[in-house]
Amino acid sequence: MLSADVEVDRRDFTVRAALRVAAGERVALFGPSGAGKTTILEAIAGLVTPRLGVIELNGRVLTAMPSWQRRVGLLRQDPGLFPHLSVRANLTYARSAAPTAAELSELAAQLGIDGLLQAMPARLSGGQRHRVALGRLLLARCDALLLDEPFASLDATLRRSLTALVRELAEQRSVPSLLVTHQLADAQAFADRLAVMDRGEVLQAGSPDAVVLRPASRRVAELVGYLGFVPAGSTGTVAGVHPDRVVPGADPARGLVVSGTVIAARPSGAGWEADLRAADAAFTCRVPDRPAGTVSVTVLDPPYFGPDGTLADRGVRS
Amino acid sequence: MLSVAGAAVIWIALLGPVITLFTHLSAGEIASALTGPGDLDPLVTSLEAGAVTLVVLLAVCTPLAWMLARGRLPLPRLWEAGLLCSLLLPPLVIGLLLVFMVGPYTPIGEVLGWFHQDATNTFLALVIAEVYESAPYYVLGAQAAFAGVDTRLEEQAALLGDRPVRVFRRITLPLAAPGLAMALAVAWARAMGAFGAVVIIAYHPFGIPLQIFTTLAETGLATALPYALVLLVVALPLPLAAYLWSARAERRRRG
Repeated sequence: MLSADVEVDRRDFTVRAALRVAAGERVALFGPSGAGKTTILEAIAGLVTPRLGVIELNGRVLTAMPSWQRRVGLLRQDPGLFPHLSVRANLTYARSAAPTAAELSELAAQLGIDGLLQAMPARLSGGQRHRVALGRLLLARCDALLLDEPFASLDATLRRSLTALVRELAEQRSVPSLLVTHQLADAQAFADRLAVMDRGEVLQAGSPDAVVLRPASRRVAELVGYLGFVPAGSTGTVAGVHPDRVVPGADPARGLVVSGTVIAARPSGAGWEADLRAADAAFTCRVPDRPAGTVSVTVLDPPYFGPDGTLADRGVRS
Repeated sequence: MLSVAGAAVIWIALLGPVITLFTHLSAGEIASALTGPGDLDPLVTSLEAGAVTLVVLLAVCTPLAWMLARGRLPLPRLWEAGLLCSLLLPPLVIGLLLVFMVGPYTPIGEVLGWFHQDATNTFLALVIAEVYESAPYYVLGAQAAFAGVDTRLEEQAALLGDRPVRVFRRITLPLAAPGLAMALAVAWARAMGAFGAVVIIAYHPFGIPLQIFTTLAETGLATALPYALVLLVVALPLPLAAYLWSARAERRRRG
């Protein structure tokens, strides 16, 4: 179990977090750039000093411990392979890593780098470097895995396959894993629990589904991709419109029906993304066919927010 | 093609003095200048003083360069400005100031006297002069070499369980080594050719540069030039080796 109750001062604001990640559990810290997500990872890794708080890992208090004693693995966007050492020497760098030849071959095969053990890091592709860096952490027998947007620079297909690989390996080894990302899809693909951060505060934590479909506030809704809020009732309540949760036509049984005028439409993937204006609100939605003029759409089971910006409807998707 | 020709012209112009040296030397002159008894003593003195200077620079200046590179010192620009000051002072002036600093009638000179040492016209004085002439070049070069090592690699090594000393030994030093070798080569060249400070504080024992100067004054240019060739021949291998080793390390990293 990894737990971190910390406050870390940054130049512009204080980052506060109270996180618990059980053995084998995968948590994603999601939020915009500069929200303080990496600061939390760095505090757990011992690279920044919290102003106050306690960090514990499997009963060991890490707070005042130097990095080299923490047994925490950190994988960053730059995989940080040692350029003067071969892949094999990188993999077995940690003193705690003393794999047998069979173990090393097995892990290399699992990671898809079995033909590269003698190669130097400069010869590897981006994906291969990340695989080696991941293998190095696994062989070091870290007690926790911290992932700081590790695959952000890779293409979508490679990112998906590596995320799946980390997920599988973290599960196998029952280590708590914490992923930092500003890509919601990455967070959803990896984590069983999602914590949304903004300006140093955790705004909401829960299952990815619950956070995305029932954001606790308008700010969380904006962060997880809601691109518009339409009035729903006379008390100042609004419904959040997520572009992916809109279907063309009026179907009151499935959600809120909104009629609006198309302001702009542009191709998006295999369909269209359109900006609509309804009464005094504007929102964006994605539909299969190019919309024009005035159209009706159904916002599927939307979250509602009261005048104070907090979630008014506590229902969950059926 | 034109750019290669242009580069060649610049290169030959820069090598002008070396080319001139070879065109003004004959085998007979070299043999007669260097085969007398004690003719190679200055060479031995220069090599010994240069070697001790390098050891002092490695031991004393490497930690300073590392601290400068890692921002471990308060007011870092002040420290760097101090190094630049000693770089900007003409070597002759450094020699004069060293007399006032470590001469026999100074506090440091008196302390040395307790140990029966003297920092003027001795081997110690020669080493001191060479250290002061070459240290700024080494520190600034070594600082750049350490600054070129990505601190995130050091953090990664620490997270993999290495204590700071092991991180330095396994990551920082190997990655900075090519740059350190080049800085050391520059310092070596500077120490071997040190003249300005040496002529003031360490006129004796003669190293090669002073031998060239005194031979020139006593017997003329023709007999002095063979010593210049000796200086070139003995000073060149170390920088050349450093350069080749750095290039090899870089090639190895590229796989």
